[in-house]
Order: sequence, then structure tokens, then C-alpha cells
Amino acid sequence: MSSPAKNRIGQLSLNMAVAVGGVITLVPLVWMVFSSFKTTTEIFRYPPWLMPQELSLSNYESLLAGFPFARWYLNSIFYSAVVTLAVPLLCSLAGYAFAKLEFRGRRALFLLVLTSIVIPFQVVLTPMFILMSRIGWVDTPFAMTVPWVAPVLGIFLMRQYAYAVPTELLEAARIDGASEFRIYWQIVLPLLRSGLAALAIIQFLSSWNSYIWPLMVLRGQESMTLPVGLAGMQAQAAGTATPYGEMMAGATLSSLPVIALFLAAQRYLIAGLTEGARTRRSIRSLGRVR
Amino acid sequence: MRAHEPSRASAAYRLQGGRSPYAFIAPFLLLFAVFFVLPTLASVALALYRWNGAGAPEWVGFSNFRHLLSDPVFWQVARNTAFYTLASVTVLIPLGLVTALGLNSHALRFRGFWRSIYFTPVVVSAAATSLVFQILLSRDAGLLNGVLGLLGLGPVPWLQSRSWAKVGVFMVVAWRSLPLLAVYFLAGLQAIPQELQEAAMTDGAGAVKRFWHITLPLLRPVVLFVLVLVTLNSIQLFDEVQILTEGGPANASATVMQYLYSRGFERLRFGFASSVAALLFGAALSVALVEARALGGLRDDREV
Repeated sequence: MSSPAKNRIGQLSLNMAVAVGGVITLVPLVWMVFSSFKTTTEIFRYPPWLMPQELSLSNYESLLAGFPFARWYLNSIFYSAVVTLAVPLLCSLAGYAFAKLEFRGRRALFLLVLTSIVIPFQVVLTPMFILMSRIGWVDTPFAMTVPWVAPVLGIFLMRQYAYAVPTELLEAARIDGASEFRIYWQIVLPLLRSGLAALAIIQFLSSWNSYIWPLMVLRGQESMTLPVGLAGMQAQAAGTATPYGEMMAGATLSSLPVIALFLAAQRYLIAGLTEGARTRRSIRSLGRVR
Repeated sequence: MRAHEPSRASAAYRLQGGRSPYAFIAPFLLLFAVFFVLPTLASVALALYRWNGAGAPEWVGFSNFRHLLSDPVFWQVARNTAFYTLASVTVLIPLGLVTALGLNSHALRFRGFWRSIYFTPVVVSAAATSLVFQILLSRDAGLLNGVLGLLGLGPVPWLQSRSWAKVGVFMVVAWRSLPLLAVYFLAGLQAIPQELQEAAMTDGAGAVKRFWHITLPLLRPVVLFVLVLVTLNSIQLFDEVQILTEGGPANASATVMQYLYSRGFERLRFGFASSVAALLFGAALSVALVEARALGGLRDDREV
């Protein structure tokens, strides 16, 4: 049995340790924001100092003047918005059908989808790029959206959430003469709300932050997204000094919406991530697909 | 998590769908077939051809694989990738679990606040993160070397030297992925019935004993999931390395994925790239299966 005094020390050290970890977590983000107000000389001054000498907006000005940053921003918003809207819609339709409706081939089709979750992205990377260039989608918005609106994870997530819909409710609606699509639209969809929110957030984040795919299929400066545009700023400036201040300004501006989104919708994001974990674990029960 | 568990009665049966289910799954299935199944099959076939995208592919059998396995650079990047994977598994998983335990403890004040803080890195892009860390890890004026300097250590060339580049990259990977692992562990911890812990407490089991005999065994499925996730993610590592070091100096920090990208894709050797992908996939799958078996085996010992 531990004495109250020992308990207090344990409690104190726990709180201190968590605080230290919290500071380590935050420092890079705070550093990013503060560096965006500094000149390159000040960013690399020694010893390092967090606070800028003055709150100068010149990095932001030259970022917007010297790079198509506003364009990158609009591109990122557009690509992510399309994916964020389309994925929950497509996946909830299919996920609902797999969870609640009986039809020939349901088991086989679902097994096919289930198996594919173990195939990593890099396997399809090369053929997908070839496909894009064959159909003339390289450097078009199509390449950034269409291939990504039907992720397997989304089907799992939606199927999982759709199970919770009471089948009696659907039956009753049928007896009342509602059409199949109307049942989905007016009864199922509202009940899937939290799942849809979680999926939308996960998809928004992965689209907003994706790097290797846009790096491959986007060519012109004007069609870049934020991550590839920002990372490209260091290579682009070869010969001249790397524009660190502008890069930090860009990194700050590009992180603001996702951090705001996270703080506003944390609950859904975490619920969705953990639900996703559960569905992936269910791979082990491949043989027992319902 | 358990909130979505349907009551047996309402979930156990499905409605006879008629034709409408096909209409519901058709859009998904079509996209899935064109943009996933087809490329996967193509990838398998492509690994046996030489093709630069123009003209007809030339059948070369297993020569892509032979070429790959005799390339010293491939072995170098394979070793690097193994380093990142091993480091992630041995460092990040225990650290993620400890973080989750801390964030789950009732003795912690402002729990909601700290959880928000800890999870923020999950949403920031690899690009933004890597650019900031380029500054933080810079040799002459970086914050990390500044702190080490106060202790009379360093300066360490985190991203410039052959021996340190991997460590520098790994720190960035750790900062980005640790919170995600903690999210999973935290969800797992919260699913453990409180009564179990309380019962053990009444029996006089200390915190350490409770952790080993209750928490850890019940967390096993989550540990397995996180283990597989971490392995797969580190085997596919690309974004952070590409932006931080471009794999340098002299491939010292490069990963298999970068090798695939530069050797196969930038030089338009699509067949070769596919053979790298196939090998990577094989490696990922076997490691994941071994991990699943190892942890599954643990269960058999316990429950017999």
C-alpha cells in the first residue's frame, strides 16, 4: 500500500512528465509560426531564440508575390473538397448495401474488397501513373480526385457504422412504400452522421496532406498542391538562398485549416480512427465474413 | 467504440435487396475495379517486363528481380528501411503506450487539454513538418543543437552526416507518428472495464502488477494492430526522407520507396519499379504475418 505522500509525488511527476512531452510536441509548431515572422538570418541565429525581434509580415508578402501560393491553396481546397464530399457518399451507399441488404454475390464481393486492404499503395503506384498518362489525366484535377473517391477503408468504416441501423426501421419504411433510395437518403444517411463525419475528416486530412501522388502526377507550378508546392520551394531556389522564411509562412498557412478542423472535430476524428483500427483487425477473421 | 455495436436482434438479419443493392455498390465497385484491382494486376504482370511507357513492353522474365538484387544501392536502402522499421517498432510502440497510459491516468490534470495538444501533430502535413525540422535540426543554429550545446554536447550534424542522417529522419517520423499510436492505445485502454482494475486493486495488486497482468493482456489486439500499422508505415516511408534529406548524403538515409521512385519512376523504368513494389509488398506482408503469428501465439499460451 502506498502512503498518501508517495501518491502525491507520483501524481506530481506524472503531471510534469506529461507537461514536458506536451512542450516537445508543441515546440515545432510554435517554432514554425514564430519563424514565419523572422528573416532568414534571424531564423538561423545562434543561440536559437523563439521570439522574433519584430512581427514582420514581409515573408507572407513575398510568399504571395513570389510564388503561386494562393493558387496552390485554392488547388488544395478544391481537390480536398471533392474527395471529402464524394467519399462519404459513395462509401455510405456501398457500406450500407453490404451491411443491411442481401444480394447474390455479396459475400464474394466483400471478400474481394476485404483482401485488397493488405495491398499497399506503392504496388498500384506505377500502373496507376501509366493509366493516368494513357487517359491523358496527368496534370489535371481528375488525377487528384477520381482515383481517390472510393477508398477501401471507407467501405469498412461505413459498413461498420451501418450495422447499428435497426433493420426493423428499414422494413417499416419499405412497408410504407418508400423507395430504396429514399430509405437510404432519409433514414440510413442521418443515422450514419457520426461515421460520415469521421470519414470525411480522415479523407480531408489525407487529401490535404498527400505528397507522393501529387509529386508524380502534377507538373505545372500552377497545378501544385500545398505540400508539393512548399517542398518544391527549396529545390526551386537552387543557386539562390533557400527562402526559409517564406517556407515557414507557407507551412503555417497550410497547417491552420487542419489544426482548426482538428480542434473543432477531434471527437469524430478519433472515433473514426479507432473504428478503422477495429475493422482492420477484423482482417484476421477473413474466413468469417458475414 | 462499443457504441456502434448493434443489438443482435436488429443486426442479425438483412433485407432482401432485389436489384437496388447493385445500384448502391456499382459506383464504388466501378472505381475500385478501375483504380485498384486493375493496377494491382497490371503491377504483377509489369514486374516481368521492361517498359518505359512508349512502344511495346518487352518480356524479360525475372531479370528485373535479378538486376534489383545485385544492385548494392538496393541493399543499402533495404538496410536503411530495416533500420527505420526496427527503430519504430522498438522505440515508438513502448513510447506510444506510455504516452497513452499517462494521458489516460486519473491523476492527470487537464486531461482533455493535454490530449488535444498531444494529438495535433497527426493533422499537420509531412511537408510542413519536415520543413520546420530542417531548421530545428540544422547543425549550426538548430534548436536541438542549441539545447545540446547548453549541456556541453554537439553540435551534431543531424541531416548532413552519413552516420546521423537516419537518426535525424527518425526523430521527425517519431514526432509525427507517436501521437497516432497513442490515439490507438488510448482507445484500447478506455475499452478495458474499470471494474477489472478496481477488483485487482482490492486484491492488493500494485500498479505495475496490474499493468502486466490486466492491462497488457487485454491490450494485445491493439498492440498487434499498432505493430502491423507501424511496420507497414515504416516500410513505405517516403515523404519525410524525401523532403528532409532526399535520401542523402550518398543514400545514407534513403528508403526502398525512394529507390522505387527515383530508379523506376523518374527514369521511366516501369517494369523495374513494379519489381521493387512486388518485393516491398512481399516483405511487408511476411513481416506483418510473422507479427500476427507471434502475438497470436501469445494468446494460445495464455488461454490454454
